[in-house]
Amino acid sequence: MSDARLAELVERAFDYRGYVTVRRTDGSELVGFVYDRGAAHIVLFDETATHRVRVELAEVADIAFTGEDAARKSQEIWERRKGTLEPRDTPAWGDWQDAGPVLLVVGLEIELRSVGHALGASRRGNRLRGRMGGADAVALAIGLRGGARRAVIEERPRLVVSCGFSGALDDAAAPGDLVLGASVRDENGDRIVPPLPLLRAAAAALPGVRQGELLCTTSVATTAEAKRALARPGALALDMESYPVAHAAAELGVPWLALRAIVDPLASSLPPFTREEHSSYLWPALRYALSGPGAAMELVRLGVWARKAGGALEGALRRLAPVLGAVEAHP
Amino acid sequence: MSIPVAQMVAVTRYVLKQRLARRERYPLVLMLEPLFRCNLSCTGCGKIQYPLSLLKKNLSVEDCVRASDECGAPVVSIAGGEPLMHPQIADIARELVARKRFVYLCTNALLLERKLDAFQPSKYLSFSVHMDGPRTEHDLAVSRDGVYDVAVSAIRAALKRGFRVTTNTTLFEGSDPQRMRAFFDQMMELGVEGMMISPGYSYEKAPDQEHFLRRERSHRLFSRMLEEPGKGWRFNQSPLFLQFLMGKRDFECTPWGNPTYNLFGWQRPCYLLQDGYAKTFRELMEETDWSRYGRKSGNPRCQDCMVHCGFEPSAVRAAFDSPRAMGATVAAMVTGRL
Repeated sequence: MSDARLAELVERAFDYRGYVTVRRTDGSELVGFVYDRGAAHIVLFDETATHRVRVELAEVADIAFTGEDAARKSQEIWERRKGTLEPRDTPAWGDWQDAGPVLLVVGLEIELRSVGHALGASRRGNRLRGRMGGADAVALAIGLRGGARRAVIEERPRLVVSCGFSGALDDAAAPGDLVLGASVRDENGDRIVPPLPLLRAAAAALPGVRQGELLCTTSVATTAEAKRALARPGALALDMESYPVAHAAAELGVPWLALRAIVDPLASSLPPFTREEHSSYLWPALRYALSGPGAAMELVRLGVWARKAGGALEGALRRLAPVLGAVEAHP
Repeated sequence: MSIPVAQMVAVTRYVLKQRLARRERYPLVLMLEPLFRCNLSCTGCGKIQYPLSLLKKNLSVEDCVRASDECGAPVVSIAGGEPLMHPQIADIARELVARKRFVYLCTNALLLERKLDAFQPSKYLSFSVHMDGPRTEHDLAVSRDGVYDVAVSAIRAALKRGFRVTTNTTLFEGSDPQRMRAFFDQMMELGVEGMMISPGYSYEKAPDQEHFLRRERSHRLFSRMLEEPGKGWRFNQSPLFLQFLMGKRDFECTPWGNPTYNLFGWQRPCYLLQDGYAKTFRELMEETDWSRYGRKSGNPRCQDCMVHCGFEPSAVRAAFDSPRAMGATVAAMVTGRL
């Protein structure tokens, strides 16, 4: 190709608002957006817009205009709708999906407290708002009766994290241990797997975290016997929210994670009052403590475990913040 | 005039420092474009026509802070794209404010109300809301019904929460001076701190090429709009620049006055023209052939340009060059007359 022809192509490529394919003299091809040029080179962003590549003009055999011209497209759209306006109810984000908040879903208000500490945010009712890794974050205690789907629809989050406390389903899991759900399974055996890149990034941010299956039940398994009956190979922990949360997120196309902190070991039982949801556990706990010295000791032990689990969850969310905040919504 | 005293003092100190250092070219405002994507597609905008993967990219907080440090300009105008679509826009604003930069966050305000929680009111931070005129004209300019009403509601909400709010208005062929005067009254009644006005630049990539103002028509329009300024109008701009728009003064462009940093690097030569990119601010300043730009250069792309990013720095420079021009600036600020 003559120098004049090449110079003309380079100027056209520089002016072009779309991708071009540069064919090199060695036969290789490079697709990218030409954003700069010099006397003897061009500079491109590759197709993923992540790498800048400088190509010497001496290596260029041809340039083809293979991508759609965004300027021409914009012109065509404008001409098509000339004189008419987009309707008033067009979403505020236009053609772009709302880069909504990170949504942290917990079951109980006691779990919300740990999340609040991690976010440095104070609670308003069953909800708190804060920041995580530069992104807005909303934490919501949905209770034991569900509400995950509604929360995901209302918040339009970029990411959902089911987090909170769990009972252990594995003998080796101790109070305060963290479990990252490699999958979640409901009582019918339905299994959902979180997006793998996200799971890997989260695991890398949490050294020592255990990865495995979370089993979700529709009622609280409070006795060691009940938990043993549910235990199966690979299942590490037991909770009530992770499956509905994951199901709602997956159905609505939102990436999700499940992170739990173990409170009660597999061999232990919880006091009976934990079977029911209470707005405050203070009075049921006091009543239970007064039933005998053994009960009081049991409550003290449970308090220590819950404290450990709360601290572990808070620390884990802090370490996860950069990973969670970096998740972006896509159009 | 409504430029805050703290900003005037900071800019004055900065300019005097540059002059004492005998620096020929120095920036006044960094035009920071942390992203190109936008939730509107305005007819006169040539800033957002890029492939999808580039539209999805964001400058990081660190990139933005580094650009501001490198440039050193006392004022940072965050443009785009729509900055409020950047997931870390509040962090960017906070970091720049922490460096005592006067930040003007330019926004169409569609997302402003829902994003206010992420920002802290500060004398260094102003939301500069895009308002291209009264309801009908504005909605037409942004090609969407109802945007004017959303913006007015967001302005009210921001003011109520103690934020500084200014407006920026781009004027095109066909603007009605009387309606624009009424619009300025409305903005003042809303309680905005000040207004910025400028003729639009005829971007090659903008869809609508018919309505860009040419120089003579700009003079006529701005004269009719500003000759008898309304009581209480406050402009967040140099009075000499407004007089230039009215044709009372002539300036040559200062293309390095508002350097632009975006995903590609430092844009040559200015916010409006794209003749390539420099890797560093120093490279931009030292290796750009500035003689190719401005009206006197004969560059056809510069002949009708009267946009603030090239001529407001010229107006500021003129004020420091001549006691008479400085006197005129002060007089206009005190009396409100142009």
